[in-house]
Amino acid sequence: MNAVASYRSPWGHARGRLASLLMVAGLTLPVVASAQALNVINGDTTQKIALSDLREISDTTFTLYDPYQGREVEMQGVAFQTFLIEQFGEVPPALHFIAWDDYEVTLDGWDDPNWYLITKEDGDPLTIRSRGPVRLVERDYGDRDVENLREFNDWIWMIRSIEAKW
Amino acid sequence: MTSEPKTADQSLMQTRPLTRRYRYVTWLSLSLMSFLGLMILIVYEARWVYPEIQAYFSQTGNLTGQQLATRSRMYLQNAQSELLAEQPEEDAVDAAIMNIELAYGLFNVHVYRQQYECTEPSLVELDRLLVQLQLEAREIERLTAVGELFTPIECLTHIEMVQLDRRGEAINAFSESTRQHNQVLTYASLLIFALGLVFWWLHERQLRRTDRATQETFAWMQRAMSDPLTGVGNRSALYQDVLAKQDQSLGLILVDIDFFKQYNDAVGHPQGDRLLRQLATLIGQSLNNEAQLYRLGGDEFAAVTPCSNTATLGKYCHQLIHALSEANFPHPAHPDKKSVTLSVGGTCFTAGEKGFAVAYEAADKALYQVKTAGRDGWQVTEDA
Repeated sequence: MNAVASYRSPWGHARGRLASLLMVAGLTLPVVASAQALNVINGDTTQKIALSDLREISDTTFTLYDPYQGREVEMQGVAFQTFLIEQFGEVPPALHFIAWDDYEVTLDGWDDPNWYLITKEDGDPLTIRSRGPVRLVERDYGDRDVENLREFNDWIWMIRSIEAKW
Repeated sequence: MTSEPKTADQSLMQTRPLTRRYRYVTWLSLSLMSFLGLMILIVYEARWVYPEIQAYFSQTGNLTGQQLATRSRMYLQNAQSELLAEQPEEDAVDAAIMNIELAYGLFNVHVYRQQYECTEPSLVELDRLLVQLQLEAREIERLTAVGELFTPIECLTHIEMVQLDRRGEAINAFSESTRQHNQVLTYASLLIFALGLVFWWLHERQLRRTDRATQETFAWMQRAMSDPLTGVGNRSALYQDVLAKQDQSLGLILVDIDFFKQYNDAVGHPQGDRLLRQLATLIGQSLNNEAQLYRLGGDEFAAVTPCSNTATLGKYCHQLIHALSEANFPHPAHPDKKSVTLSVGGTCFTAGEKGFAVAYEAADKALYQVKTAGRDGWQVTEDA
């Protein structure tokens, strides 16, 4: 896994240079305004949580092999169980997610301290381009085969809204 | 000389434990085990196939259900549509940027970068295009941007095709594997089923043999307990029947044919045998068919009846003498010129080993007294 993390192709170098250029340009460019908040829905109430606020409460950092990126990544986020309790008072039986790419899914079993809502990766805020602005990952995925991405279907990317299903 | 029998004995001693050990491995258990094996095989195969089917056909509706490449390509094509749509420049570019960002996120996956050479240049191309679109002084025409998206779209299409081919190959391999498993399952099932039937047939044959052997043993026991000439019980049967009626009040009647030797000498043994059969029938009928009849030896019969008192027993004896008199079987050598006559002695007793011995002696004594008194009569002693 470490070998994969340290590998950088010539194209990777080119992308690195472009990323630097983007960072400079980002200061002056219009940002996609719609991807600046996470909608948390509880019944008829929708609360918009600013991504900056989410990043501020992201108090946990750990390093994890991300099977989608094929390398060790330093992830920073908030324990999802704690987040749910703060937002809904308790962990709802199920959650309905809508992503920025319009992917929708309803999943249960979130009363599990293993899930984290990630806002930063290797110190940089997640964007839609890096499958953000927020993403759900399992801090410990046991001995699941990292080559088989089907094993990681529950890692929800590009989350736009989270709705409690009671 | 002496060693041979010893060897035979030793071999018998060695085979006996083996026989005992395999006695419980019957054809029935082998048959049942075959059918159980068949069930296990079917369940195992079903359990094997189900997860495989899950792996190939249950991926719709989740993250990797639809190829990431397909979704990414669709966003790039959406971006092209937005750029070509008749709408204000800024709206078109914003929408295109959003779609390209989404496409980038879905495209930038390790497995694509690792396996498809076109991925890295395409991502660089998208990066570059995004920069150009996001600059305030936009450096690229909308139409040019549309054209530059074709290279990444071509790459994604290539990935889709390869992935589809791979999925097709995997499904073909799975299909072939399933076909082979089906063949194994079919032939193995047939074989096991046939084995089960053969074992069952052997079990049935064994049952029939055992049943036949039991019936033969039973018939042999019947023969051993009956008199072959008259068909009534023999002395052993009398003893066994009396013991089986432990503590019951019974009557024992001993019947002796008078001058039977002279009869045989006069008319021959075949005729004597016929007379014995006729007398057996007559004695049974005269005792109202309530008595068990036995032949104890040459010319001596015994009858066991229910007996509440000696008067009843006397009545039976009288009926017997009277019936014989009426039957009037001719006796050409009777010293008194009479037809066939009988001497009868009887007694009542309580069934049991000791009681029977005493009763037999008492009845025999009564019979003897009849004989010494001139035969052709009966006598019943008080309870033995």
